[in-house]
Amino acid sequence: MRNFLRLVRELKAYWKIMVLIAILTVITAGLGLPGPLIVAHLIDSLYKHNPINLFLVFLALVGIAAGTGLVGYCLTFAVTYLGQQFKMEMRRRLYSHMQTLSLGYFEKNQIGKMMSNITNDVATLDQLISGSFVRLMQDSATLIGVLVIVFIKDWKLALVALSVSPFYVANYLLHIGHIKKAADDVREERDIMLGDLQEKLAGAMVVKSYAKERTEVRQFVGQTRNLLDLNVDLSMLGTRLWTIAEFIGSGCGVALIIWYGGREVMMNRLSPGNLVAFISFITGYMYGPILRLIQLNDQFARTNAALNRIFGTLDTEPNIQNKPAAKVMPDIKGHVEYKHVWFEYEPGQPVLKDINLDIKPGMMVAFVGQSGSGKTTMINLLSRHYDVTDGAILVDGYDLRDVTIDSLRKQVGVVIQETILFNTSIRENIRYGKLDATNEEVEDAARAANIAHVIEALPKGYDTLIGEAGIKLSGGEKQRIAIARAILSDPRILVLDEATSSLDSETESLIQEALDHLMKGRTSFVVAHRLSTIVASDLIVVMEKGVIREAGSHLELLQQGGIYASLYNQQFKVALESREAEGVKL
Amino acid sequence: MSNFRRLLGYLRPYRYRVFLAVFLMFMVTLTALPLPRIIQFVIDRVLPHHMWHTLNWIFWIIIGIYLFRGIVSFSLNYLIGWLGQRVVFDLRFHSYRHLNRLSLSYYDQRQTGKIMARAVDDINVIQYMITGGFVTLITDMLTLVLVIPVIFLMNVKLALIAMAVVPIYVFNYKLFLKKIRPLSVEIRKSWDALIGTLQEKISGITVVKAFVRENYETEQFIKTIRLNYDLQMTQATLNRILAATATIIRAVGTGLVYWIGAKLVGVHTLKVGELVAFTGYIGYLYDPALRLVDFNVQAQWAGASMDRVFEVLDTRPEITDAPNAKSMTNLKGSVTFRHVSFGYSRDNQALIDINLDVQPGEVIAIVGPSGAGKTTLVNLIARFYDATEGAILIDGVDIRQIRLESVRRQIGYVSQESLLFSVSLAENIRYGRNDATREQIIQAAKNADLHDFIMTLPDGYDTKIGEEGIKLSVGQKQRMAIARATLTNPRILILDDATSALDSKTEANVQAALEKLMKGRTNFVIAHRLATIMNADRIVVMDKGRIVDIGTHAELVAREGVYQNLYNEQFKSAQDEALAELLG
Ligand SMILES: Nc1ncnc2c1ncn2[C@@H]1O[C@H](COP(=O)(O)OP(=O)(O)OP(=O)(O)O)[C@@H](O)[C@H]1O
Ligand SMILES: Nc1ncnc2c1ncn2[C@@H]1O[C@H](COP(=O)(O)OP(=O)(O)OP(=O)(O)O)[C@@H](O)[C@H]1O
Ligand SMILES: [Mg+2]
Ligand SMILES: [Mg+2]
Repeated sequence: MRNFLRLVRELKAYWKIMVLIAILTVITAGLGLPGPLIVAHLIDSLYKHNPINLFLVFLALVGIAAGTGLVGYCLTFAVTYLGQQFKMEMRRRLYSHMQTLSLGYFEKNQIGKMMSNITNDVATLDQLISGSFVRLMQDSATLIGVLVIVFIKDWKLALVALSVSPFYVANYLLHIGHIKKAADDVREERDIMLGDLQEKLAGAMVVKSYAKERTEVRQFVGQTRNLLDLNVDLSMLGTRLWTIAEFIGSGCGVALIIWYGGREVMMNRLSPGNLVAFISFITGYMYGPILRLIQLNDQFARTNAALNRIFGTLDTEPNIQNKPAAKVMPDIKGHVEYKHVWFEYEPGQPVLKDINLDIKPGMMVAFVGQSGSGKTTMINLLSRHYDVTDGAILVDGYDLRDVTIDSLRKQVGVVIQETILFNTSIRENIRYGKLDATNEEVEDAARAANIAHVIEALPKGYDTLIGEAGIKLSGGEKQRIAIARAILSDPRILVLDEATSSLDSETESLIQEALDHLMKGRTSFVVAHRLSTIVASDLIVVMEKGVIREAGSHLELLQQGGIYASLYNQQFKVALESREAEGVKL
Repeated sequence: MSNFRRLLGYLRPYRYRVFLAVFLMFMVTLTALPLPRIIQFVIDRVLPHHMWHTLNWIFWIIIGIYLFRGIVSFSLNYLIGWLGQRVVFDLRFHSYRHLNRLSLSYYDQRQTGKIMARAVDDINVIQYMITGGFVTLITDMLTLVLVIPVIFLMNVKLALIAMAVVPIYVFNYKLFLKKIRPLSVEIRKSWDALIGTLQEKISGITVVKAFVRENYETEQFIKTIRLNYDLQMTQATLNRILAATATIIRAVGTGLVYWIGAKLVGVHTLKVGELVAFTGYIGYLYDPALRLVDFNVQAQWAGASMDRVFEVLDTRPEITDAPNAKSMTNLKGSVTFRHVSFGYSRDNQALIDINLDVQPGEVIAIVGPSGAGKTTLVNLIARFYDATEGAILIDGVDIRQIRLESVRRQIGYVSQESLLFSVSLAENIRYGRNDATREQIIQAAKNADLHDFIMTLPDGYDTKIGEEGIKLSVGQKQRMAIARATLTNPRILILDDATSALDSKTEANVQAALEKLMKGRTNFVIAHRLATIMNADRIVVMDKGRIVDIGTHAELVAREGVYQNLYNEQFKSAQDEALAELLG
């Protein structure tokens, strides 16, 4: 119920249009009532051979219809307007709210579910608002009107007509529990199917490399077959409900009216015209609305689930938020300090343990260390995708939690480990780093990332479309576009998380040169496993299982003879040996 | 229209049920006919002549008719529900099977979200069309066929009047049809775009956030929903105008019948009850016409959806088994490239005249600048694409003559980007081989130097990963992919930059394990870190789509060329140091 109250509050902004809809609805309902009465009058006059102005009858019927058509037109327009407006507004709110949520939220939720939140759940809401609400009003108005009329005309006959409605309601109530359960089953099974489908389509490459197409199809068939059975069950239940309802309403109801009404007519207590009117009122205007009104109950239940999910999303607070007094980060000089930083993704499983680092402006810092030792995590903390569990990170003396997120991230350019590109042209992808960049700026960035010559060789150049996630590019090309994108954003601190792992050393050193030039005086972070990438760094940090084991320059670390030295020897063994051999020869 | 015919084709296997359904519809329609006549009888005969007894009978007759109607229509609806679901099932199954047959190039061109929309939403629309639109349409047709003779039999003059307005309606309808059709296609497209953006931007949220583009993305999103909104509003307006016109035309018809009918009653050529019954019947005449509006909307939607579904089904897979393709179960593992050229598109040559002969058991390393065509080369071995020119032979047989599945099952392919599914770690490793035992899975994880890490997790091998579970670091993912590939016990193993995110120590561990495991198998290893590949039997150096050199490490460093340059660049520091040390 709370959900609905909240929904009503959400709808407040639309109260004008809603009032209009209410008025139009009542008019429409009202316009439905005179028709049978006019016909009744006509029939009675004919029966008794009274004179009647037939042209007027014709005009009245056509006039009412014209009125209904016109009002109906306005009504549908208003309703569609309300529904679509509301849908659009809701989707906008959900989407923009999701955008404010931190990465943790996206890691914990399935893409498919988040999408369905924005698409399907909102559509369900719209069904309630532009479908059921309107019907609720229209049906209530009609029902009241009809009841008043039939009771005035002949209250006994009205009671007879109503006598079947308890059965009608009972039938509905008997079915609805089962139907709801069946519908839930269907929804659950469908969600499972959709989740799988999305993942397997996105992972077509893997499915194909293992020649698992047939297994996948078999599994999919299993799921859809379950879905088929559940759906058939559901439709059978629905069919049973409606068939019995029709039998009770149209069958028994009409039979009763003709029988009882006929007797009334023969006893001269009712005119034949009114009997005809009764039949059309009861069949057309009474049972339908009654059933639909009870049905709303079910609709509410379904919408409630959607509302839960929608409000659930809207109420999710971003883990990372600006403090009320957050300041705008001034231009960063690049002094970065990690002070006793602890961090855990999952409670009780620390990924970083007591990290202390002091990075002076303009330094190039390299992180090396075992896979899974927390290098990417260090960087995620720097751009504040997560907040430290304990300790603090300071940039130029500002605690990251004291400055606004935007002002920080705008100055920290991160090239993440797994390249993400969008399904547009190369130009648009690079420009994502600075939306108002001119073509020249884009091309300069591409040149610095050593990708310009590749792009220019393409028939469509910078306007080449690169497919979903850049699937039409080679691994190294994607990385270079991501680097160009970061360069274009002109960050004060540049972070390259294995951003050149798919590049050959020559291309890499060309990019390095360009970056040295561009990033002169700015702080940069580099994560790399290929040690040739990082030997020139001012500070090399060696990590292991979330702690810093060694830190120093290349030469210092070599002399220490620790982890770094052994990594180095491993990678350069052959070269060192062959050189020594050659050196000996010298 | 041909689409609809094709959809009917999906009903062919169930044609007897369809006939039964049509028969039942006929029965249902038939049961609707007596009521106006009964009312007529009551008004004209029973009431004026006070036939009390007959009235009692009529009560039971009506109950009987509706009971019969109920039973028939229940069977009908059940049958229809079943048919609709069944066709959906068939369509889904066909589309999915077909999607799985399509080659990678199909996926290269499309967003997953859009493919999904076809396999799910479009097929649902078609289902509504079958269970809703079609049934109503047929029932309506049957009703018309039955009612028109009935009203003509009752009174020719009135019947003609009632029918007179129908052509106006049809004309009016045709006019609108033209506008509504393209609109449905537009709406469907805008919805597609919406889903596409949503999926892409939600999965790429890291980049959105990294560049602080949240507001920008929201604006973009609003643009797509606004477009959808505008189109929906236009459609609603069009439909409503059509419906309003229909209401008025119908009223004109009914009004005319009352007018003329009443006059006829006045001159005693018609009885009152007959007039009532007649107006009852013309409801049956006009209602179908009105319903045509709904059907029309539905049909337009379904038409657009069918186009899209059938488009998927009509896309020819580029890579299929040749009719006489043979199945090769025990590959030795020799791979030969004979004058192979390949381009992803006509004006872009990714591989040019590749010649290479690899013996079973050899370890072949492929190096070269980024974009040289390394991935493309190994993609051709796994036959993700077919060579444009030349041929690739495995064990001396052209791979186009071998059954696709039998080749791929014997190739272990670890791609440049590791892709795992949202299931447990164990299930991910087992993906290539469902019947693997726990021990084999653990062994595979150990080979990939991952076992120790997995054991530190509270749930061990049953830890779920992906959207509902934990996230792995990139190096951990790569090792998962390696474990998965080794478990299938492939004859040919392809590692495309598969250890780039591993530190040298971990990499050495993995390599040591692989070396043991891979004895006697053919290996292709792509890597940029030269230390990774120095021990390869042969190193293939690629540049700009060509093989520019082949040899062992020692041979290649000794001669000038791409490899020597790469080598010098990567080992510059080491060389400098060695020299410095030597010189003092
Ligand atoms: N699916 C595709 N569609 C169109 N062009 C493609 C596709 N995949 C790759 N290319 C192009 O083909 C060329 C060779 O790409 P390939 O992926 O084989 O390079 P690579 O040697 O593996 O490079 P890297 O080391 O960067 O991964 C590149 O220029 C690339 O842009
Ligand atoms: N979002 C997350 N939720 C839970 N655990 C995570 C998450 N991201 C990383 N981890 C875990 O934290 C640890 C450190 O991961 P991180 O990505 O920082 O490693 P890394 O040093 O960058 O490794 P690699 O070189 O393989 O990229 C890993 O054990 C990983 O499984
Ligand atoms: Mg990492
Ligand atoms: Mg590649």
